[in-house]
Amino acid sequence: MNYLLLANVAIWLGISGYVLFLAAKQARLEKRIKHLEFLNDKQG
Amino acid sequence: MNGLIKYMCILAGLALAVSQYFIWEYAPREVTMGEVQRIFYFHLPFAWWAFVCFFLLFVSSIGVLAGKAVFWDHLAGACAEVGVLFTTLNLISGAAWAKGAWNTWWTWDPRLSTALIMWFVYCAYLVLRSGAAGSLKMRRISAVVGIVAFLDVPLVFFSARLWRSIHPAVFASRGGGLAPEMWHAVAVSVFAWGVMALVLLYLRTNQMRAMERIRQLNQG
Repeated sequence: MNYLLLANVAIWLGISGYVLFLAAKQARLEKRIKHLEFLNDKQG
Repeated sequence: MNGLIKYMCILAGLALAVSQYFIWEYAPREVTMGEVQRIFYFHLPFAWWAFVCFFLLFVSSIGVLAGKAVFWDHLAGACAEVGVLFTTLNLISGAAWAKGAWNTWWTWDPRLSTALIMWFVYCAYLVLRSGAAGSLKMRRISAVVGIVAFLDVPLVFFSARLWRSIHPAVFASRGGGLAPEMWHAVAVSVFAWGVMALVLLYLRTNQMRAMERIRQLNQG
């Protein structure tokens, strides 16, 4: 039973870790694109 | 987030919730191994969807070499990441299951060894890609590595049949030695993790497209 619990915890930590990584990356990318588009519009 | 992916996310969440019911309540307790056998319902879908991701990576790599569409390169990168994530979870859940069933975390069995080699190969592919951003030449080198790396995937799948292995080959015998209720739990779990894999692939491919847009904006 302990090993079942261990595997289950590892799986959900792995998946949620990757989803959090994707969410953080998405927020950074959107911010960066907005910033660069603003700069390009200002120059053009 | 557009309409389709929003519904895919909801479907993935619901399917995973339903799969939990099938795993913990519906599927009967296995007689020989006991409760630890329930790891199987995670372990198998991770392996299968990792294989699918690596196959898509193989196809995308051919797409990169055949044409110049950047989409194939983005899809290949997303497939490699999700495939490595699923293989990692497959190896970890397998080690926990092995400790419960065989009383060892790891053994140099053909199936386990080839799966570990596959994990190392695709980790190396990801390292190569991290230095290949944007350049057409490096994209093509990554594509060649993506094609060659796929040679190990059928080897992992057939290893339990080709060599003497203590790892069971699920489809080697008719019915795989599982009760019908167990098969239902397997089917629901495979479906749920499949939808989750598609969602992750879609989101990561879109992010790679956004990274390409940033590169273009930086140059322009």
